[in-house]
Formats: sequence, C-alpha cells, structure tokens
Amino acid sequence: MDSAVDTPASPAGTQVAGKPAKPTLPAVRQGGELPTVLSNRYRIERLLGVGGMGAVYRARDLLREQYGDPDPYVALKTLNEEFAEYPDANALLYSEFALTSRLRHSNVIRFYAFNVDRVSQRAFMTMEMLKGPTLDQLISERTEGLNWHELQQIAVPLLEALHASHSVGVLHGDIKPSNVILTADGLRLFDYGLGQPVQGLLPGLPRLSRKRIAAWTPRYAALELLEGGPLTEAADLYAVAVILYELSSGHHPYSRLTAKQAKCMDQGGTLNKPENLPSNCWPALKAALAFDEEQRNTTVAQLLACFSFKPTSLLQRLFGHAG
Amino acid sequence: MEVLQSCWRSAARTDRGKVRERNEDSVLDQPERGVWLVADGMGGHQNGALASRLIVEEIAELELGGNLDQQVRRVRQALHVVNRRLGHEVTVTADQPDAVMGSTVVALLGNQERAVCLWAGDSRCYLWRNQRLYQLSRDHSLMQQLIHEEQVDPLEAARHPAANALTRAVGAHERLVLDILEFSVQPGDTLLLCSDGLYQSVSTGILSHALGLISPEAAVEYLFSHALSGPARDNISAVVMRR
Repeated sequence: MDSAVDTPASPAGTQVAGKPAKPTLPAVRQGGELPTVLSNRYRIERLLGVGGMGAVYRARDLLREQYGDPDPYVALKTLNEEFAEYPDANALLYSEFALTSRLRHSNVIRFYAFNVDRVSQRAFMTMEMLKGPTLDQLISERTEGLNWHELQQIAVPLLEALHASHSVGVLHGDIKPSNVILTADGLRLFDYGLGQPVQGLLPGLPRLSRKRIAAWTPRYAALELLEGGPLTEAADLYAVAVILYELSSGHHPYSRLTAKQAKCMDQGGTLNKPENLPSNCWPALKAALAFDEEQRNTTVAQLLACFSFKPTSLLQRLFGHAG
Repeated sequence: MEVLQSCWRSAARTDRGKVRERNEDSVLDQPERGVWLVADGMGGHQNGALASRLIVEEIAELELGGNLDQQVRRVRQALHVVNRRLGHEVTVTADQPDAVMGSTVVALLGNQERAVCLWAGDSRCYLWRNQRLYQLSRDHSLMQQLIHEEQVDPLEAARHPAANALTRAVGAHERLVLDILEFSVQPGDTLLLCSDGLYQSVSTGILSHALGLISPEAAVEYLFSHALSGPARDNISAVVMRR
C-alpha cells in the first residue's frame, strides 16, 4: 500500500488557489479553493465529476511527465470542502483508499496512492484515468433498451466486478449508472466513496459512520438504506439489478421512484420482464429488485450465472440474441 | 480552424466580486473553435462552483467537429449529460436530501456566417449591431414567466418575493430544456455573454458603450471597471466576441 505525506512546495500559506497556468487550460477560468498543484506533483487540470461528498479531477502527474510518460494523467479524488472540514475527513478518505486498494480485478478501477498535500492539508487519492461513456449516457441514448448480446457484454463484467468486491469483503454502497464506465479496454466499476468493509474485516480502519453521514443516490438505493439500515451485499445487489433492468428495458423499473416511494405505490407487483431479457434471467433479476431485503432471495453470484448464460437454440445461434 | 481564428476575436473575465466568499461563475473563451460560454452556479458550500466548472470543462474538451448544426447538437447533448450528473445521478446525504447543485448556462457557437445561442437560466446574451444593443436571450426566471405567460405588469412582477428565482437551470429538473436562437452574423457584430452579476451592476448605456469600443479586451476591461466600482455583491462574468 502506498501512502505519503509530502514536503511543502512553498512556505505555509503562500500557495493559494488560482487560475491554472496558461498552457493547462487557457480557455477556462474559475475561482476555486483547491490548490492548482497538489503535493508539488499533481497539476489539477479539469473537473471530471462531482458527488455529494467528493469531487474527481483529471490531474497531470508532473513526475511521470518529467520521465517522458506519454500519458501522465491520473484521476484525483478529494473530499468536498464541507466534508474536508470534518476533523477526521482525511482518515475517511484514507479508509476508502485502504478498502479499495485491496481490490484486484480487471473491471474495478485501479487505485494508485493516497496523499496529503502538506500546504493545504487536503487529503487526496490518485487512480487510473478512465475515458469512455458511462452507463447513464448509454441508457439515455438507448431508450429502446439493449439487445441480449449487448446487455450480456455489460452485465457479466459488471457483476464480476461486484462479485470480486464482495468476495474480499468490500461493499460498494453507491452503485449507479454514472459509476460504471465503458473504456476501450473494458468496463470499470468505480467510486467506492460510500464503500464499507463487511463486518469484521479491517477492524482498525475508521469507518464511514452511516449514522453520521448517510448518503445514497435516491433511485438506486435499496429500501433498507433509505430507512437508515446498514449497508450489506443485498443493497449492492438491488442497485445493480436496477441498472440491469434499465439497460435491458431502457427505463427505470420503478418509474424513477425511490424504493420507498415505489413500495408505497405497490409497484413491485406490476413489474414486467423487459422484452429483450431472456426468460431464464428474469426470476433472479426480479428477486434482486425486491423492496424488502429479506425478499431479495438471490445473490450477485446467482445473477452472474444467469447473465453468463449462452444461447443454444439454432435461432439464437444464428441471430445471437434471445427474444 | 485558421479561418475561424481570423474570423472571431474575443476576451473573457470572471471575478468573485466584493461580497461573495467564492466565485461560482465559470467562463469559456475558445475563439479558435468558435465556442464561448458563461455558467453561473448555484447551491450550498462549493456546489455552485463545481456545477458551473463541470459545464465549462465538459464543453471545453468536447469534440465538436462537423458543421455548426452538428456542433450545436454535440453541445446540447453534453449539457443534457451534465444535467443528469448534477440531478438524479448525484449522491445525496441524508441530512441534505434536496441539496441543489446546478448552474445557469449561456453558450454561443459561431462560424463565419452564422451563430447559435443556447441558454437555460438568467445568464444573458447581448448583440451590438449597427450602434444598437439587442438582448438575444430571455431570462428563465419567475419574473419573466409572470410577465410573458401571465401578463403581470413588469413592475409588479419585479416586486414578487421570488422574482429572481430560476425556472430553468442545468441540474435543476429531470429534463433540461434549452432555448436556442440562431442568427446570421455580420462583420462588426459584437456579442456579450454575461452572468446576472454583470448586467445587474451596470446600465444598458454602459453595456452599449463597452461593446462599441475598439476591441473585445477593451470592452471587458470597461465593463469590469464599472461593475467593480459599485458594491459588486454578486460574482461577475463576461465574454465579449467580435466578428
């Protein structure tokens, strides 16, 4: 594991947030609180994404660039200011790094290092820079839903990534379409910012207290999370099932409602199999979409087995899709 | 691209003002691509600043290609993506389930003959042509809605306690609705994109005088010297383009 506290780039208080140097982003100007260069090494170039707790930037690794790396870019995550003000904010970000650096899977984002910028005292972590469309872009462009072959190519690596995480005791906690990206060399699941170790793993690590900071993405959060319950594998299962349903049908299974709203309106009873989905996948997907945790009587591994199914009929062999 | 470089000149500036703790505005100034933009963010803590920055940086690196119509389509698609990111795809915390993260946007795309303005919110686009000033965009604010859709008297509408509330913004609603205005450009046309912090702090006389000055740089300097000589309670942003 790689962690470091660097030496100051300049005397305390003299490094201020400001406009990026001319060659970096000459066309974009904006006031900001984050230093332009962190740890005298990572030059912040652009904002890639924002969440309730953190922001991810593209940064140029000046050290790698100095040694002639043709692609010296990293993704760099910091906590938002309001969270950075928490006394143990840096420890919180470190737990995300410690948790996720245990993951080794080709469909899970790769984490590089955890650092604290000495001057600003801001903690940050660096990750592989990912390029490509995210699943929310795909869903909005393919309103008719994906055919079985296309769905399988996304579902299998996504479920494998989640299964691999759960296998080493890491729960994701915020699975949603914008946290899954399709890069040139395959799918990646990212943003473990709300992740948790399963009970008993990594006992010494500061945990994100869901009592203090409960966070979720409303349309993908399982009912128990919305009601203040603990994060379990079943909550990740619900979220991934919502994504798979959306990819297959082109629309959210519960009319874009939260699990709580949808349950009140009894939408579970009217859930239909997406047309493009093979029948053998439906029982497991439907079970994974159950509102009540105890009714969600399937697992990521079972879902993966269903979605790994290869069509065998002549029709399917000839046309490569079911239905 | 070389044609475009010789065709448009532009200058841009954004300033925190004298009162606000941070600058939640962002501007984009890319004369070589024929793309300019002002975004005025909203939301607690740093949310507004992040929202406007996300918009500007998405468009700054967008592969435009093609003709002007295709470029406009790309920019619209990108703004719809940002709308989702700031809206229903955003992670929320239990103590702030309805935390706002959004931004106005006013963008201009132009080639030698035509320009297209697209916007949501109350950031504006002005055109200075033949010694006259035209406001090309119409604010998406409650006040404008009262005046134009409910025929409320402008003075009365201005007195509404939520007169300045936005009726559209990136990140504010499930679906983003952008207004689009296309027009042919003439040599000497000067355009201004600005946040409300600018147009609220200077008169239309000042706007007209600035846009009639010798260069976009001079126009921006003149606008800011006037805006910052007042109380400057809001962030101030302006991009001036001349064909």
